[in-house]
Amino acid sequence: MSKQPRVSNHFAKTGHIVRDSALGLVTETVEPYLRFNHAIWHNGPLTAADIELARLRNARQVNCVFCKAVRYDIAIEAGLDEAKVEQITDDFDQSELSPREKLILAYTDHYLQQPTAMTTEFKQRLTEEFSAAEIVHLSLAIMLCNCFSRCAVSLGGMPEEDLPRMQISVPE
Amino acid sequence: MTWFTEANTQQDIIDRAPTLAPAFKEFYDSFWQLSSIPPSVLELCRLRVAQLHQSDYQWQHAQFELSVEQRQSLSQWSKSAVYTQTEKACLAFAEVYCMDPQAITDAQAEAVKSELGDAGLVALIEALGLFYGMTRVSQLWDL
Repeated sequence: MSKQPRVSNHFAKTGHIVRDSALGLVTETVEPYLRFNHAIWHNGPLTAADIELARLRNARQVNCVFCKAVRYDIAIEAGLDEAKVEQITDDFDQSELSPREKLILAYTDHYLQQPTAMTTEFKQRLTEEFSAAEIVHLSLAIMLCNCFSRCAVSLGGMPEEDLPRMQISVPE
Repeated sequence: MTWFTEANTQQDIIDRAPTLAPAFKEFYDSFWQLSSIPPSVLELCRLRVAQLHQSDYQWQHAQFELSVEQRQSLSQWSKSAVYTQTEKACLAFAEVYCMDPQAITDAQAEAVKSELGDAGLVALIEALGLFYGMTRVSQLWDL
C-alpha cells in the first residue's frame, strides 16, 4: 500500500473536510455524494446507531484507519456506545449485542465476503426483523461506506498505526 | 422478484426506500456526466467488475452503448487491440481494485493519472467503488 497520497487537492481551501480532500477534485460528484450521504444518515428508516454498526464493521474489514477511528456524533446520540463498538469483532455472534444488531453485522459480512451465499433461513430472519425499506437502507449504507473506505485506501497515504478515536459530525 | 419485495429490478427495489432513492439516483447519474473520464471507459470498468463478480444481472445491463467488439473481448482486454491505452490503464486498475485496493501499485495509479489526470484517478476510484458496491448489492438481492 502506498504510504504517500497519490493525489492532493491543492486548490480548495473551504474548511470543509470533504470538499478540501481529493474528492473535491471531482466537482461533478462531490455535491451529489454529500447529499446522498446526508440522506443515508438522516432520511432513512434505520437509526444512525444501526448504520454506524455496519460502517464500523466495514471499516475494520477494509482496514481503513481513518474510518475505524471516526465515531459519528448522531450515532452516539442514537445509542451506540463504546461497549457496543468493542463487540464488533469476528466473534460478534457470541456477543451481548441484540439479535437485530447481530443481523446488521451478519448482513454486512455477507456483502463484504460472500454476497451470493445467504441462506433461505438467514433471509427469512432478515425479513422478520426488517421492512423492505430498511433492507434497502442498510444495503445502500453498506455500499456507500464500503465505496469510500476503499476509496481512502486506494488513494494512498493511509497511516499504518491506528489513530485515536475522533468524534465528528456527518459532513454536510 | 427478490426475497424481500416483489420488485425485480435494482431501481424498483431502491424505490422501496423513497426517502433515499432520489439522492442515490442523483449520485449514480453524476458519474456519467464527468469531464475527467469518458462514459465509455466507465462502462468498460463497470462491466469488468460485473464479470469478475460473475454477475449476469449487471453484465446484461447497458448503461452506455459500447461496440460489440469491446463487449465481446472484455475478458481478454489486455491482449486485444480494440481498447485504447486509457481504457487498458483503467481496466488494469479496476481488476486490482476488485481484488484488494491495498494491492494497487503506484505504477498502476500513475498510469491512470498520466491518461486522465489527478481528478480522473479520483473519479475512477469513486466510480469503481460504486460499481463494486452495486454489483454486490444486486447479488445480495438475488438479482
